[in-house]
Amino acid sequence: MSSDEAFLEQLLRALNAANIEAIIVGSVAAVLQGAPLMTQDVDLLIRDTPLNREKLSRLCSELGGVQLVQPSPCSRTLSTVGTAIQVDLLFDELPSTHARFESVRSRSIKVPIGDQIAVVASLEDVIDSKAAADRDKDRAQLPVLRNTLRVKRKLDESD
Amino acid sequence: MYPEIMGSDAKQDLDALVAKLKAKQKQLIRELPDIDPEELFQILHSLLRPIGSGRRFFLRKQADGTHVF
Repeated sequence: MSSDEAFLEQLLRALNAANIEAIIVGSVAAVLQGAPLMTQDVDLLIRDTPLNREKLSRLCSELGGVQLVQPSPCSRTLSTVGTAIQVDLLFDELPSTHARFESVRSRSIKVPIGDQIAVVASLEDVIDSKAAADRDKDRAQLPVLRNTLRVKRKLDESD
Repeated sequence: MYPEIMGSDAKQDLDALVAKLKAKQKQLIRELPDIDPEELFQILHSLLRPIGSGRRFFLRKQADGTHVF
């Protein structure tokens, strides 16, 4: 297992310990479904409830005493400071498509990582969110994401 | 080689992966001709390589502004 995979396993373990239900979305979700991408952070979608907000302090503790900051006043997203890889917490919906937590979860898949199980947004949801976000970095990833989905579907047909 | 997923029959495991990659590449290069063959190979390699096989995908920004993984 690489240090990157080990980081995800550690993150999932911390989420479990804090009892936070999270869906991996964004580029890491695509990577976990075979897309040959590189990225700088992990995006997690969680429900915005008072209880989950309380649990975030336990999560920070489980991750070794990291802190959460709000990078933009225009967004509820919180980002970790102090983790080896930045973790972004998105609340309730994907910011670009406004797909709700329950809706994203209904299409998600489960991916084992070490002794943990990750709930991962579908590749279709990742593509839709990047197309809607329409930032330079999203547009740059879209061709390989779409091709990965096409190849994945062909492999599924032939298996 | 991917030591994390290779058992005592490491060479056979790798041979099997390479054989599958080649077979799928040959099949899909015909079915998806608009995808660049090198990109197709990269996608297939990524799709067929199991999680936990030592893949790296995080870029880390260094103090001098360069990125490493």
